[in-house]
Amino acid sequence: MAFPVSCASPHSPDELPGDPSSQEDEDCDYEDRVSYSGSYSSESSDYDDVEPEWLDSVQKNGELFYLELSEGEEESLLPETPTVNHVRFSENEIIIEEDDYKEGKKYEPKLKRFTKILKSKSLLPKRHSKKSSNGNEPVSILKHQSNQKTGVVVQQRYKDVTIYVNPKKLTVTKAKEQLKLLEVLVGIIHQTKWSWKKSGKQSSGERLVVHGLLPGGSAMKSGQILIGDVLVAVNDVDVTSENIERVLSCIPGPMQVKLTFENAYAVKKETTQPRQKKAQSNTNDLVKLLWGEEVEGIQQNILNTPHIVMYLTLQLDSETSKEEQEILYHCPVSDASQKLKSVRGIFLTLCDMLENVTGTQVTSSSLLLNGKQIHVAYWKESDKLLLIGLPAEKVPLPQLRNMIEDVVQTLKFMYGSLDSLFFQRALHPAKLHSGTSLSAQQYDASSAVLLDGLPGVRWLTLPREIKMELDTALNDLETADFAELSEDYYDMRRLYTILGSSLFYKGYLICSHLPKDDLIDIAVYCRHYCLLPLAAKQRIGQLVIWREVFPRHHLQPSTDSNTEVFQEPEGRYFLLIVGLKHYMLCVLLESGGCASKAIGNPGPDCIYVDQVKTTLHQLGGIDCRISEQLTASPSPCLSCADWFLTGSHEKLDSLTTSPILSRLPGTSKVATSPTCRRILFGDYSLKARKPSPSRSSGGSDNGCEGGEGIGLSPHTTPDAIWKQRESRGSDGSEESGALLKVTKKKVSLPNPFHLGNLKKNLSEKDLEIYNTMKLTSGPENTLFHYVALETVQGIFITPTHEEVAQLSGSIHPQLIKNFHQCCLSIRAIFQKTLVEEKKKALNRGDHSGSTNSVSSLNPVKEHGVLFECSPEKWTDQRKAPPVMAYWVVGRLFLHPKLQELYVCFHDSVTEIAIEMAFKLFFGLTL
Amino acid sequence: MGEEGTEGTVHLLCLAASSGVPLFCRSCRGGAPARQQLPFSVIGSLNGVHMFGQNLEVQLSSARTEDTTVVWKSFHDSITLIVLSSEEGASELRLERLLQMVFGAMVLLVGLEELTNIRNVERLKKELRASYCLIDSFLGDSELIGDLTQCVDCVVPPEGSVLQEALSGFAEAAGTAFGSLVVSGRVVAATESWWRLGTPEAVLLPWLVGSLPPQAARDYPVYLPHGSPTVPHRLLTLTLLPGLELCLLCGPRPPLSQLDPQILDRWWQPVLDPLRACVPLGSRALPAGFPLHTDILGLLLLHLELKRCLFTVEPSGVQEPSPEHRRRLLRSFYTLVTATHFPPEPGSAEDKVEEAAQRTQVPRVCYLVSGPEEPGTGWRLVAVQVGPRRLLLLLSAQCPTHALRGLATHTLQALSPLL
Repeated sequence: MAFPVSCASPHSPDELPGDPSSQEDEDCDYEDRVSYSGSYSSESSDYDDVEPEWLDSVQKNGELFYLELSEGEEESLLPETPTVNHVRFSENEIIIEEDDYKEGKKYEPKLKRFTKILKSKSLLPKRHSKKSSNGNEPVSILKHQSNQKTGVVVQQRYKDVTIYVNPKKLTVTKAKEQLKLLEVLVGIIHQTKWSWKKSGKQSSGERLVVHGLLPGGSAMKSGQILIGDVLVAVNDVDVTSENIERVLSCIPGPMQVKLTFENAYAVKKETTQPRQKKAQSNTNDLVKLLWGEEVEGIQQNILNTPHIVMYLTLQLDSETSKEEQEILYHCPVSDASQKLKSVRGIFLTLCDMLENVTGTQVTSSSLLLNGKQIHVAYWKESDKLLLIGLPAEKVPLPQLRNMIEDVVQTLKFMYGSLDSLFFQRALHPAKLHSGTSLSAQQYDASSAVLLDGLPGVRWLTLPREIKMELDTALNDLETADFAELSEDYYDMRRLYTILGSSLFYKGYLICSHLPKDDLIDIAVYCRHYCLLPLAAKQRIGQLVIWREVFPRHHLQPSTDSNTEVFQEPEGRYFLLIVGLKHYMLCVLLESGGCASKAIGNPGPDCIYVDQVKTTLHQLGGIDCRISEQLTASPSPCLSCADWFLTGSHEKLDSLTTSPILSRLPGTSKVATSPTCRRILFGDYSLKARKPSPSRSSGGSDNGCEGGEGIGLSPHTTPDAIWKQRESRGSDGSEESGALLKVTKKKVSLPNPFHLGNLKKNLSEKDLEIYNTMKLTSGPENTLFHYVALETVQGIFITPTHEEVAQLSGSIHPQLIKNFHQCCLSIRAIFQKTLVEEKKKALNRGDHSGSTNSVSSLNPVKEHGVLFECSPEKWTDQRKAPPVMAYWVVGRLFLHPKLQELYVCFHDSVTEIAIEMAFKLFFGLTL
Repeated sequence: MGEEGTEGTVHLLCLAASSGVPLFCRSCRGGAPARQQLPFSVIGSLNGVHMFGQNLEVQLSSARTEDTTVVWKSFHDSITLIVLSSEEGASELRLERLLQMVFGAMVLLVGLEELTNIRNVERLKKELRASYCLIDSFLGDSELIGDLTQCVDCVVPPEGSVLQEALSGFAEAAGTAFGSLVVSGRVVAATESWWRLGTPEAVLLPWLVGSLPPQAARDYPVYLPHGSPTVPHRLLTLTLLPGLELCLLCGPRPPLSQLDPQILDRWWQPVLDPLRACVPLGSRALPAGFPLHTDILGLLLLHLELKRCLFTVEPSGVQEPSPEHRRRLLRSFYTLVTATHFPPEPGSAEDKVEEAAQRTQVPRVCYLVSGPEEPGTGWRLVAVQVGPRRLLLLLSAQCPTHALRGLATHTLQALSPLL
């Protein structure tokens, strides 16, 4: 392993100034009433250690993906943690497959599958458990508990032994017969006839009992494998005598292979039983996650759904007429997908022919297979063709197109080019994900439709003070001025220059010092590995990712021939991601340029990792403040659709037919008038958002809320309001009606004292904040949802998950889902406009006016749809269900910079407000 | 027309599905028929990929490049139609409906029997030549929109009831239940039975009449793709006034000669003035003086249950953009709205899987603002659906965005009695 020299030198973060803050951190965490013990114990052990515990996980090529969840979460979340499932996705697939192919003879595809898994394994997280002082053994995220040092834990059924294998040797000696790889490669002798026991579970293959060890073989050298042990897994792929040879034959080159053994005298039945169960539940869970539905026998469904990922070459070697030679890579192997594979001729022909005929490349095509429509997206690069095919009902075409672009971008970011990726055969976690999990939205099924396709990162706006702190911390890190890194210290060139860093908290970007392109590359990478939702859903004990990356921004050849202009150095780039609890800090490093050149495949450097970790520790103090921001009331406050659905109670009819129409008399108008004026002026300067007490006074929420707010003291916390809202949302009409009445009364008594007081109390700044809180005009807040994309900075903002969750109702989720779907099609139209604009910009000279767009609607700048919805289950037969109408509006801004905005609001708003809302909104993003 | 120059080429290929022999190829460039044809090898491979898929039970339905859309469709396992369009705004919806219309036109003139049971390819090719005129009119720029909406293009005459009476009386006298008055491809009035004609022929017959060269009288054999695809009927047309034709659909009787001038005179002389008033209505669709907002540049009103539509781009005085441009805008907008937002018309063949999934959220209004950033440029488009009626408006940029919905709803109310 090519480690940098410095790696071995002892550092521990506690020697660095980060320590006090981490202490502080701990305190505030305890206030949070959440046990951090898991992660803390791991850290404390980390301090004691000379070597960081991830060190052993570094791959031959220098890459590292080390993930360790904090303890409490692991135990409770293990079955239902989606992200964990994602990580072990390939494994689940194999489980499904095994069921499927038991009787089949499709060895060949199965073999491929194993290849893939083996390969992916080399990139997937290494399971790894560490010694911990208090004996709390963190559960490994994967199947077995594993331990590098077998001596530590006594009562262990499984042990992992890492041995070095070199298949190259094999090619010299020639593999002659079956069942010899195990012997030749690993040095374990297993005699089939000797096996006296068959496991009840695996009827397809015998258990691999170690009957002997080959002298001089890797197994014997390791000294940990005993005769009588049972080999159960190779690199976490379950093996039996049936598949062991195939699994081993897939080892591409010399590498460390992890063998998992069952101890000789462990009770067999007990171990197999729970294991199977666990796998089962995981599978179900994964599937649920993938398809967002829960159906019996869903594993079957997922396999029956035709979907495919293929990488084909267009250049066929005419001499070797081998079958399937054009397939360089092919992903799911199921009957349904087989069909798609068999018609690859169509794709190849279309790609070739249509390009000849039309002069433009084929982008997608649609097929009907078993009555299901399937879209296939194409990506052609030089003479290779990447295909992704997914059923239309799961993934609409615009999404598929974004998806393939996304996938290609990520793969390029990770491997430089598609070609090098597929030739090195260094596949594929990302690939796997793209193939199936992408299809299938992760995390938040409805919003993923849209949000995953946006060229941006989800941004969380923070108050200025916090932002400042974060900026300072990142700046400190980026200057790389810490003792060991300064060039004087060791009198040698530093290894890497830090190009920039970006900080994520619970999946939200909270601070970034990276150029937009890099930021997006990194974000897409994280998305494919599901790191963002991982950080959001649970605390990360420790996450260290290190890999060489190929950011497009730095690697594209400079178009400017002028030597005066800054030229990107011919360096190499590395991505370092360190995660701790809910934080994730991504750092882009450059070697070459002014740092020393990287040689070989350097692994992660301890100093850098430690520095980043220290920074994260420093930030621990503001953890709770940020999460407060997350849970605090939304900054343009949102309404829940269900509040607008009235009609179930007649009592209200006398008062107001609907709360929307009830214009608040008297005070509320006075209160809101400054708002309106403010809105007109449009305050752009304001970034800070703070749960200001005054917010509640503006009649800002909806008809009833607004009035009530005035009666409340100016110090009402937003939480209180929230509680009220929630109760209203859930308890239904009766209470709501009553409240409305009360409200009405309150409103009808103008309270000049309160109002005057309020005004006095409000400083100018507070007033501004107060004004930015509401997006729509009019006395009620009619905003349901929004997504704003700022393409220059590469960020978008949208209500946080917490905010959306607070607005739970019966219709609201449906509305949000529909909003995202509608936005997707609106966005597809905008994308056409953008392409058009680009073309126009290219040939501005020879272009006369708008002749180009004679038939097309472009350039489209605004598009809106009005929807009507009513409750799904309407039991009252006598009356028509109440109907609520809402707009979904998308707006594209080309100047001064490219921005996209999607809002969803109730129909009652006077529509001139749309424009105002847009303006206002951008005040927030700036 | 022809503004687009090299852009916007449409190729339509028709092949015998079993043998792969091309039956005809029609091309159209920039809205006008063109001679340029695809090379034979391309035709072969376009058909080949589709056939290959079909053999493996995979139906290739469409493909897209950056600027071209290709749609395949096979009918009765005997005829394969392929259309390749690089027109802007060519969507699958538009092309699929185009193919349906083209096949309908082939059946109309040749009969289903000939098409499903091809015995002599050469003879079929010759027979299909008769349909070129009609098919070309689908490919090129047309003033009508029935090919896209699958609704009959209508006009609203000032004195509709009078004409209706005259028509019914005349049809009865002539011994048929099917009669209509057609002005430049649009139906002015029709008998009850005529309105009950099935989807393709209801659109195709007036379209056919409009596309044929002017003649005083015709006796034209037609198959009805929906009603009687194998037994031909006679389509009798009599030109009452230049541009205004009387159509009758009948069996072997009566012969054309029987409809002598006396009968014509008897029925139509009294309503000559209303008839005259209909002639200029062709492109305007609405009676003169119908109050419409001045911002409205184009209008498309559909009645989805009756399958009729009103389509005009000249409701008021001449303004920019040109009528062709307006027509294209409205067509594009219709396609967009129908393909993405509104559910497809009831009874139409397309079943959108995605649409059916979420019926609880019903789209009602849809608008689109297009054009450069500068205020007062570009145009606005708005669509409203109320009950079975759907109204699409093209509006000038003077109309503020927030007024779009109100204007559309208002206009729809005003138009509702007409259709």
